[in-house]
Amino acid sequence: MTNPIPERNLISPFLVLFLINAMQVGVGVLGFPRYVAIDVDYDGWIAVILGGFLTSVAIWLIFIILRRGNGDIIEVHKKVYGKWLGGFLSFLILLYLLSLSLVVLRTYIEVVQIWVFAQLETWALSLVFCALAYYTIVKGFRVVTGICFISVILSFLTYVSLFGPLEFMEMRNLLPIVDHTPIEFLKATKTMVLSYLGVKMLLIYYPFIKQPEKALKWAVGGNVLTMIMYLSVSLVAFIYFSPDQLQRTIWPLLSMWQIIEMPFLERFEFIAIPVWSIVVLPNICLGLWSTSRGFRLLFSFNQHQTLIVLLIIVFCLSSMLQTRASIDLLNTVVSETGFYLTYVYLPILWLIQTIRLKGRST
Amino acid sequence: MSDKDKITLPALMEEFQESNDFHLQPVKIGGQPFQLFYMTTLADQSVITKDILPSLRQVLTPDLEDIQRELPFINTVITTDGSVIEENILRGYLGLNHSGADECLMIPAKEEKIRDITVPEVEFSVIGPKQAFIEDIQTNIQLIRRRLPVKELKMIELEVGSLSKAKVAIIYLKDIANEENVNTMKQRISDIDFDHIDDSSYINQMIEDNSMSPFPQLIDTERPDRVAASLSEGKVAVLVDGSPTAITGPTTFIEFFSAFDDYFSSWHISSVVRVIRLLSVAFSIFATAIYVAVLTYHSQLIPKDLLSTLIQSRQAIPFPPIIEALFLELTIELLREAGARLPTKVGQTIGIVGGIVIGTAAVEAGLTSNVLLIIVALSALASFTTPIYRIGNTIRVLRFPFLIVAQLWGLIGIFIGIGVLLVHLIGLTSLGRPYLEPIFPPRVADFKDSIIRLPFSMQSTRPSLMRTPRSKRFKKEEAEKKKDIDE
Repeated sequence: MTNPIPERNLISPFLVLFLINAMQVGVGVLGFPRYVAIDVDYDGWIAVILGGFLTSVAIWLIFIILRRGNGDIIEVHKKVYGKWLGGFLSFLILLYLLSLSLVVLRTYIEVVQIWVFAQLETWALSLVFCALAYYTIVKGFRVVTGICFISVILSFLTYVSLFGPLEFMEMRNLLPIVDHTPIEFLKATKTMVLSYLGVKMLLIYYPFIKQPEKALKWAVGGNVLTMIMYLSVSLVAFIYFSPDQLQRTIWPLLSMWQIIEMPFLERFEFIAIPVWSIVVLPNICLGLWSTSRGFRLLFSFNQHQTLIVLLIIVFCLSSMLQTRASIDLLNTVVSETGFYLTYVYLPILWLIQTIRLKGRST
Repeated sequence: MSDKDKITLPALMEEFQESNDFHLQPVKIGGQPFQLFYMTTLADQSVITKDILPSLRQVLTPDLEDIQRELPFINTVITTDGSVIEENILRGYLGLNHSGADECLMIPAKEEKIRDITVPEVEFSVIGPKQAFIEDIQTNIQLIRRRLPVKELKMIELEVGSLSKAKVAIIYLKDIANEENVNTMKQRISDIDFDHIDDSSYINQMIEDNSMSPFPQLIDTERPDRVAASLSEGKVAVLVDGSPTAITGPTTFIEFFSAFDDYFSSWHISSVVRVIRLLSVAFSIFATAIYVAVLTYHSQLIPKDLLSTLIQSRQAIPFPPIIEALFLELTIELLREAGARLPTKVGQTIGIVGGIVIGTAAVEAGLTSNVLLIIVALSALASFTTPIYRIGNTIRVLRFPFLIVAQLWGLIGIFIGIGVLLVHLIGLTSLGRPYLEPIFPPRVADFKDSIIRLPFSMQSTRPSLMRTPRSKRFKKEEAEKKKDIDE
């Protein structure tokens, strides 16, 4: 690494729980029950657990790779593949991380446009979010972590909101348990794993953790927390919607929020969607932060200037994507990339790294 | 300094004589001609006539050292340094020298005019001590020392301001305050480059971590008991001569909402009061903004019974909600400002005229709705619950940006505003310590005295924010020794 990170910028290991959880819970939680339901109907909750388990394995793998490399992914790539090939692969990973920011930003804007302000221009909201992300990221990684923490706390609002739909539940929806073939379950698990993506930011912020060895349990803890939230959301969605209805509902969680009623509040989603702007903020910030940090290490760019360039790119791209189909396509492409990156590329990297290390020691 | 720049005594005398309150009096000591010189406006005349002149008459040898020994004064100095003479004369000393000689004896004869120690007015408390700081720094330090009679209480004295030459004292408890905090404070104060310092609030603004932030990052208090308590927690305090408020730090955002009364009443009550205070602050910032957002964009959000109430109160109003809200908010600010500028008795009249007459008249004239009037009045009231004056001002000012974003983008705008506010607060530091602690970074142990206040038996450790070398306040085991029934 070029220069060590100053002590005051490091974060305590337990904050990794919030970093992982905040990155996983974003716009995905609003829509995921539908996707699993398409694959395995109402056995989806099993896929949720399997997906959570697989992601924990991925986190463990990432920790092993980074602990051996004693640094971030860029450092590891350089050691394993050498300067040029390693640099190129790091560049591709950074592009992927940047695309995560873009996906989250554009999807959230779409939610706002559909549910709150139909007339709102994409570029206007995108501009405000980019400005807010800029303001957050220039204050450094500690502040980004802080916003992750706040976001996790605010996302707990979901649990409270789930009591509303419970009034209309139909428990028999869940029965019979396990009436699908293993192939279908595999497919559903893959779909589900996509909602757990976002742990890959760890590849960049790993050196910012004080005593990173201790952070593994917290990282897995964050993942389990996500799993619990997904499990509760999907279970409630399954017992609330009829199967056909769920497959036609793009944002099941938002639709469930619609029926919550309080003496002073009739449309809960009008409060919850604005709250979600803070819940998705860390997703946008972490992606941009990681990419700009990566570019700085890779090309010795100034991180501040890189960030501005990246923000302009994200702003332009998000303003250009206008139709539902293109947003969906973007979501699919990014998720697929993420899946192969985590479950195909990282094991390969681990293998090569093992061979290299063995070769060096003998 | 070169010899040329050095001030000689004759040149100094000449410059002093340009001012009419400089007095030069020849005296004879031991048959030799001496001269006594001082500022008549600074030196105490009675000390000169009653103490100094009679003692001088008894001195027989015309030697400054003999005179120094004979005089019934401590802190006398013999010097030839022009700058020392200048400084002392301007602090109320008398100068005495053999006519024509450079050597000079300085005798302290400062006229002390200090007001009495009074009851705290800004941070008044019903129970507890009734002492507030005054302008004199000696008295203020004395007030603190009386509460902390330990030798660990240390003081660093500095001088700030090329014109005001204000005496600034940094006070801390050795081994309890973190050296790093003391050094940061010392460094920042000695780095101040400004000509005139009138009050501790000048210093406060100049040494803040982020002077662009509307949030105060150091607590200013007029209560010696609060300062003593802060010192024993491991904080650092700063006193400025001529200022009746002390500065303490490092501090947190939550601490600005804890009144010192909270420690005087039982912990259940003060915890409830603290929570109410924080809620009222949130209400104060967001209430009008939410009203504007909901009535402008999200009327679906309100259940229909409540909506009819709102519509009835608004049906005759010719303005959109934002104009209505801005009008009322500005009126309240106007009343507050007028009340603050006027003497107390007139101020009360203003309150009645403003509150009752303008309020009811505005509703009857159809300029504002009843509901909004209630919301605005309540949020103004809520903003006055803050125990530290400066944060109350911040809260009031913050309402306006939120009103504007609410008008632009409704609730989305408000929550983006909250996002900006949160990012700002997370990024703030107080003497390099995180401002939003214990919320972020989350430190569960420090919640014992923040949003709530737990009983003293549970306050066995000092806040971890201070990074104090001695974190234990008392032995917890002894306090918690378990007793069985009827033992």
